[in-house]
Amino acid sequence: MAQNRWVADDSHRVQTPILEAKNLAVSYEIRDGQVNAVRDVSFKIHRGETLGLVGESGCGKSTVAFSIVRFLGKNGRITGGSIRFQGQELQDLSEREVRSLRGDQMAMVYQDPFQSLNPCMRIGDQLCEVLQEHRGLSDREASVRAIQMLDAVYMPDSAAVMRRFPHQLSGGQQQRVVIAMALLNNPALLIMDEPTTALDVTVEAVVLDLVDELRRRLDTGVLYITHDLGVISRVADRIGVMYAGEMVEVASAVDTFIRPMHPYTEGLMRCVPKLGLSKESSSLYPIRGRVPAPTALPPGCVFEPRCDYARRRCREKHPELRSVEREHLVRCHRAEEIRETEWRPSDETILDLQERLRSRSEDGSKVLEVSDLRTYYDQESKGILSLFGLGEKRQVKAVDGVSFEVGAGTTLGVVGESGCGKSTLARTIIGLESSRDGKIDFLGFDATLPLSRRDKRLIKDLQMVFQNPDSTLNPSFPVGYQIARPLRRFGKVDRARIGDEVVRLLNRVKLDGSYYDRLPRQLSGGEKQRVGIARAFATNPRLVLCDEPVSSLDVSVQAAVLNLLMEIQQEHNSPLLLIAHDLSVVRFFSDAIMVMYLGKACEIGPAEAVYAPPYHPYTEALLSAVPTADPRVEQKRIRLSGSVPSALNPPTGCRFHTRCGRKVGTICETEEPPEIGFGDQHRIYCHLPLEELEAMDAVITA
Amino acid sequence: MLVQDYMTKHPLMGRLTMSISEVQHYMADNDLRHLPVVGDGKRLLGLVTRQSLLVEPVRLRSLDVWEISRYLTTESIDVVMIPADDVITIKGDATIEDAARTMVRNRVGCLPVVEDGIVVGIITETDLLAQLAEIMACSADIPAVRATVQMPNRTGNLAKMVQAIAAQDWGILALGGAVNRDDPAVWDAVVKIDNVTKDAVREVLGEVEGHRVTDLREA
Repeated sequence: MAQNRWVADDSHRVQTPILEAKNLAVSYEIRDGQVNAVRDVSFKIHRGETLGLVGESGCGKSTVAFSIVRFLGKNGRITGGSIRFQGQELQDLSEREVRSLRGDQMAMVYQDPFQSLNPCMRIGDQLCEVLQEHRGLSDREASVRAIQMLDAVYMPDSAAVMRRFPHQLSGGQQQRVVIAMALLNNPALLIMDEPTTALDVTVEAVVLDLVDELRRRLDTGVLYITHDLGVISRVADRIGVMYAGEMVEVASAVDTFIRPMHPYTEGLMRCVPKLGLSKESSSLYPIRGRVPAPTALPPGCVFEPRCDYARRRCREKHPELRSVEREHLVRCHRAEEIRETEWRPSDETILDLQERLRSRSEDGSKVLEVSDLRTYYDQESKGILSLFGLGEKRQVKAVDGVSFEVGAGTTLGVVGESGCGKSTLARTIIGLESSRDGKIDFLGFDATLPLSRRDKRLIKDLQMVFQNPDSTLNPSFPVGYQIARPLRRFGKVDRARIGDEVVRLLNRVKLDGSYYDRLPRQLSGGEKQRVGIARAFATNPRLVLCDEPVSSLDVSVQAAVLNLLMEIQQEHNSPLLLIAHDLSVVRFFSDAIMVMYLGKACEIGPAEAVYAPPYHPYTEALLSAVPTADPRVEQKRIRLSGSVPSALNPPTGCRFHTRCGRKVGTICETEEPPEIGFGDQHRIYCHLPLEELEAMDAVITA
Repeated sequence: MLVQDYMTKHPLMGRLTMSISEVQHYMADNDLRHLPVVGDGKRLLGLVTRQSLLVEPVRLRSLDVWEISRYLTTESIDVVMIPADDVITIKGDATIEDAARTMVRNRVGCLPVVEDGIVVGIITETDLLAQLAEIMACSADIPAVRATVQMPNRTGNLAKMVQAIAAQDWGILALGGAVNRDDPAVWDAVVKIDNVTKDAVREVLGEVEGHRVTDLREA
């Protein structure tokens, strides 16, 4: 970026922040008393500034947002401190005044766009309603304004979108409609609570760009809440880190990432894999323990029980949020003394693990060989003929000719946007879906057989860890019983020794024997996922399929679960198939990576080769979209337009041609792309000439 | 250089439910000289200025101390605000010189920026003065030479000066000008050039035919 000669001076403007919270405290009444969910939180948001709030779930981020707009519910109330909006104390305002502020000057965008839109109203009517209600515009004026706003959020074909219903739009488009709706009244403050969490990385990147641009153009103050450090590094000017209901650090985005001063912020940074680093070259260090319940806070510093730097003073005296450097507030007694470079992990085994991973040897034998696998779903046409069985049969080609292999002890990562067939691929291999064509050779077994006709040994050797542990653990049986089930079923150990074996497995996933009799609902999300892993590894499988095993977990839990998976994989030397949408995680964990788009592989090869040029144009776009938790990293800006086309009627030729920024010509629309090999098993399926592929620049430069 | 680019967006605004003393506090706390009063949907209802807040002496004579305090706390904002019909406003797509002229002609210090009756911003004297300083590159903080050049008020003369500067490969930081107050046949141009010495500027600009450097300083 060219250096500007100078920037305009804005010091003559009103200096009153859009929003200023001072010592804010919020409590919820519960049956046996009061929960102080948020305590002593202070921050300011100036015009045209984005403040990011980060922290693990349960740290009070959303409670802060709800207290601003008075959405705390019947049992919640502000018990102390003040919130000033545009210099006015919000608590002094009547319910009616707050309601009119909410419509006119504050707006909110939530995680799930579909829930913010009325499913039975056309988009246009919903947008116009806002303008008619608050501004009293006529139908015509309102619809002109609404279309302008849709254009402002880069909605393609905005006039047509006005006539659609929410379900006819993709997730990214829905979120854009919600943002457009929030901005219709030109609010001074925009509160966004995890607005991109439900979206694909490519769509997320577009939405984040949009938020940033609108903030600059409209001078809106933005409160951006997320648990994702990568996202926050991309959008926020300043970052507030929350822990257990308190603000523990407030600093500029750059300072937060480069010189974090609170041990919790440091800890969070160590939990996320840096894009481009592998498990051999770096380690994840989960923060031990977990967030304390608001009813059982430690007497001193709230982070003390999990802090590696804690001293006696930390146990005894609660630290204040204080200014350590200019514009850098930290709630830690020892902020000046602690140095990140002096930090040593409390759990030395993590370093051993990295050592072991480095020194492991691959014997090169193949465990899984998939060739030209196809999985189609039949879709009945809705015409009248189909009633007589004469309707045209259509097929969703979820997986359409995919070939790859997984070697012993290695991990193959599979990435791609939602709807690209990643999960179907895993479900076909495990036998939950039946394949239409192609071969799956698993240690000599034919794994294309449906589950009912599979050999018991095949079932035993092929296990899966699912994304959502809630829906894969039976809620009515204790954990121990569920882990014991595969042991009994496959007779791996004597019936008499099953109990001991379950305890051993629980210990293996760092849970103690007391978990044996607990029910899934008594476990936290991370613990449930550990049980899921213990169950998958109970039968000593030869291949484990992991479908988004960490995507529903907080970063510190995610780091612990990833470490655990690596450790167990190391121990059993069992290969893994890892499906994830988080490209940093996939890069970190995998030895080889396959990038999928609409049921086909675009690129496959060793992890470091896939994440470096030459790229398939789709891989290039994915890497450019992934939010990195480091503001120093420069990323090329490539944005994909639109969403993944329907697999019912995929584009001809190269399936990516409709969104490709490097389209060669009509050949992309008519012919399947050829395979281009780059040695070392790196293959790209693309029409681009070899010279052009080889001349590509790296997307990410540190 | 339009009003919408230089106005203060999301200005602080008053509501009809505020009492006079609340308004006084609000304006004093936030260092405001002008406060647009809006209703639902940010519709402009009026404008409070420091002047309109003053209690007229006629009124004061008839009130004792207790009555003044009652007046301040119980009377609402609409007693002291200029009603919307009398407020001079401007649209966002007007030029800043339009805004300046409107303010000068009507002898007001601020213009609420209104679209369809909705307040979208406010532009004040200070914004325009800040912009004048900006036009003269005051915040640039780059050492430069500022020259005032008198030239005939005829087409082509400014171009001659710019050409002379361009011929030296110098960069112009800022440029402005106006007709001379005393002699309409003369045009005063102000130019700021960075990375040069005063002597060099004097020599180059003084050599342009019909131009006279009247003031030269480092700025």
